[in-house]
Amino acid sequence: MATAALPARALVRRTFLDARVRTLCFAWLFAIYGYIQPVGFRHAYPTLASRLQFAHSFANNKAVVVFYGKAYDILTVGGYSAWRVGGTLAIVAAVLGVYAAVRALRAEEDAGRAELVLAGIVGRGTAFAAAIAGVAGGMLVLWLAETAGLLAGGLPAGGAMYLALSDIAVVAVFVGIGALASQLAPTRRIAIELGMATVGVFWLLRVAADTSAGVSWLRWATPLGWAEELRPFTGARPLVLVLPSAAVVLLLVPAARIAAARDVGTGLLGARDSAEPRLWLLSSPLAQALRRERASLIAWIAGVGAYAIVMGVVSKSVSSAGISRSLSHELAKLGSGSVLTPSGYLGFAFIFFVLAAGLFACSQIAAVRHEESDEQLETLLAQPVSRRSWLGGRLLLASAGILAVGGTASVFTWLGAVSQGESVSLARMLQAGVNCLPVGLLFLGLGALAYALAPRASVGIAYGLVAVAFLWYLTGALLGVPKWLVDLSPFQHVGLVPAAPFRPISALAMAAIGAALAFVSLWAFKRRDLKGA
Amino acid sequence: MTAVRTAQLSKRYGATLALDALDLEVREGEVYGYLGPNGAGKTTTIRLLLGLHRPSAGRAELFGIDAWRDSVDAHRRVAYVAGEPFLWPSLTSAETFEFLARVHGGTDVPYRDELVQRFQLDTRKRIRALSKGNRQKVQLVAALATRADLLLLDEPTAGLDPLMEVTFRDCVIEAKKRGQTVFLSSHILSEVEAVCDRVGILRAGKLVDQGTLDELRHLSSQIVEVTFDGPAPRLGPLPGVNFASAGPSSLRFEVSGAVGPLIAALAGQPVATLTSREPSLEEIFLHHYDHGDGRAPS
Repeated sequence: MATAALPARALVRRTFLDARVRTLCFAWLFAIYGYIQPVGFRHAYPTLASRLQFAHSFANNKAVVVFYGKAYDILTVGGYSAWRVGGTLAIVAAVLGVYAAVRALRAEEDAGRAELVLAGIVGRGTAFAAAIAGVAGGMLVLWLAETAGLLAGGLPAGGAMYLALSDIAVVAVFVGIGALASQLAPTRRIAIELGMATVGVFWLLRVAADTSAGVSWLRWATPLGWAEELRPFTGARPLVLVLPSAAVVLLLVPAARIAAARDVGTGLLGARDSAEPRLWLLSSPLAQALRRERASLIAWIAGVGAYAIVMGVVSKSVSSAGISRSLSHELAKLGSGSVLTPSGYLGFAFIFFVLAAGLFACSQIAAVRHEESDEQLETLLAQPVSRRSWLGGRLLLASAGILAVGGTASVFTWLGAVSQGESVSLARMLQAGVNCLPVGLLFLGLGALAYALAPRASVGIAYGLVAVAFLWYLTGALLGVPKWLVDLSPFQHVGLVPAAPFRPISALAMAAIGAALAFVSLWAFKRRDLKGA
Repeated sequence: MTAVRTAQLSKRYGATLALDALDLEVREGEVYGYLGPNGAGKTTTIRLLLGLHRPSAGRAELFGIDAWRDSVDAHRRVAYVAGEPFLWPSLTSAETFEFLARVHGGTDVPYRDELVQRFQLDTRKRIRALSKGNRQKVQLVAALATRADLLLLDEPTAGLDPLMEVTFRDCVIEAKKRGQTVFLSSHILSEVEAVCDRVGILRAGKLVDQGTLDELRHLSSQIVEVTFDGPAPRLGPLPGVNFASAGPSSLRFEVSGAVGPLIAALAGQPVATLTSREPSLEEIFLHHYDHGDGRAPS
């Protein structure tokens, strides 16, 4: 019918535009990452000899495979880029896909806007399809951005488009997973958690497939493995695209069916609407914040714990065979320190836990901001509760969470290593975990200041700072820029225990800066208006 | 002792002047109705009174305590009902009551239980499962049960059914009897007329009229309605008289000042009935809307 086409088009536009800031941020990330890898590789390994040496030592090291996926050929710029860009961005793409779909579907229902739309002249099926089409528009932007970045990095057009497609295929599959989770879960938060748990499981499958020779067939069981099997620049196999395409159909069709059949605002999993009162953790705003954040805290700790166990277990299989000492400074250029020994490897692995601490700090800033934008803070601050004690309490809670993330990483990595008969001291691993605190505090302080000064932009600023700092840490040295520029990234100042000695002065300085920023933010927050959504 | 006092209180959001030099005084034990169309600045005023937003100029005091600088001290004597009932979706009503009571530093539990009965709340329900009206009731019960010295209510009956509206009015009158002060922002005029001692009318950030209902009536024009035997005659312009509306055989006037000139003009006309009455609050209110400058017509 002609009458349904116009509202549907308006819905597609709305979904696309609602996500425009997020889409653009990730487009930049994809483009810059795609540009830096080929350029950096050419710069760091200009000759075939240096590449051979690098390939021999590095790419077949299981330690590295866990993060970047399996490398098929890293003698060519294209092959190297496919390995570094494809493997890493696939994980980012998976998270983004889940988030984009849940935001466009379940969050709209939670906010009550879906009812408004469905009260108009669009049916449930059309509304669902329009939301997915809007998300697909964002994916197209990402594909163009990554292709442009790779082209700017000097890769041939066909290969660049295909490599970018291998990442976008992952986004598409996880959009499907997010869409299905949105039908099952009764709230946005539960849908996100379901989706993220799926990402975690598929990532673990890829790790298992890439690191253990016996189960490499598992790569076919995870969308993250399909991205590898597409083999951009290393004997492309476009036929593999059948798998993500089929998965998208198999996820979206049932999701659309459920969306058309269920009550708007509910999920198949159903939520309990009534409960006997449970009066624990209601005695103060801080206690109640802990009560509300506990599910998210547990999810973070479980995620970090699972990841840590894998790291610990894999550390055993790291071998220094065939790696010459002259290569260690080459490896350091990749921001990886020495990955030649189990303890060196664990040090390398811990930078990702430090990253997790930074991201956790951002998630807490986001929770603080949501309490304000949902106007619950207005009700709270109309009580005899001071702004300083409210925000100060939330920042303390976040700091405790950062410490818990670090502690979990230490203990579980140690458990994983010990379970394989590795002799690693718990004390050293705890010291490694302490490294999470200064960087986490620094980003918490920065995020808090952003929250106090520019509340509406603060969540984006917080996540953006962590992403840029980490990207710079991974790639800055590769590009051969001056050392002081590379040192701008806080991650550069972490002494990667147990591979390297703890750096107490850097740690104290970062923690002190974080604390100082937090105090300034308390002062600044006291002086501004509360700002709604 | 005054419960609420503002002096030249102003608030600017970017280019918009939301509140323009407001001077307001609410005495202790008084029920003050704060009227105004949407966007007039009612919620802005309440946010400034609570120190949630910072005045661009001027100041606000609650019980002599600066609302911005010492907001926490001020809030010990205040209970607030927000215009939008945003609460914590995963808590049940009972849990919400408990939390807000602890944060406020005490509440009258037997009175709260009584209010739960009167407002017919199921306290086992989670907030996210409640309708807007029911969430509003949760806010009202939590606020009323504190027995705070000052109740700041921002359109508290939006979403309530007529039975609950009556219960709400009873509660306000009881609060007044106990000596509590109530600041009631509303545009439900019958509600304001029923419970308020004094009324302020806000338009485009300015207080355009204030006083007891009687004072407002005296200050504004009276309504004169005349019916005729036969078609209504055409009358020329008269000093202090405005045509309000006309039927086929009736005329309605707003008369400010003496009725004499109108009576003189009607002499010799076939007048059947002539009634004169004070304007309703609605007419006073609409009167302030209709005249762009916000002043009483001369």
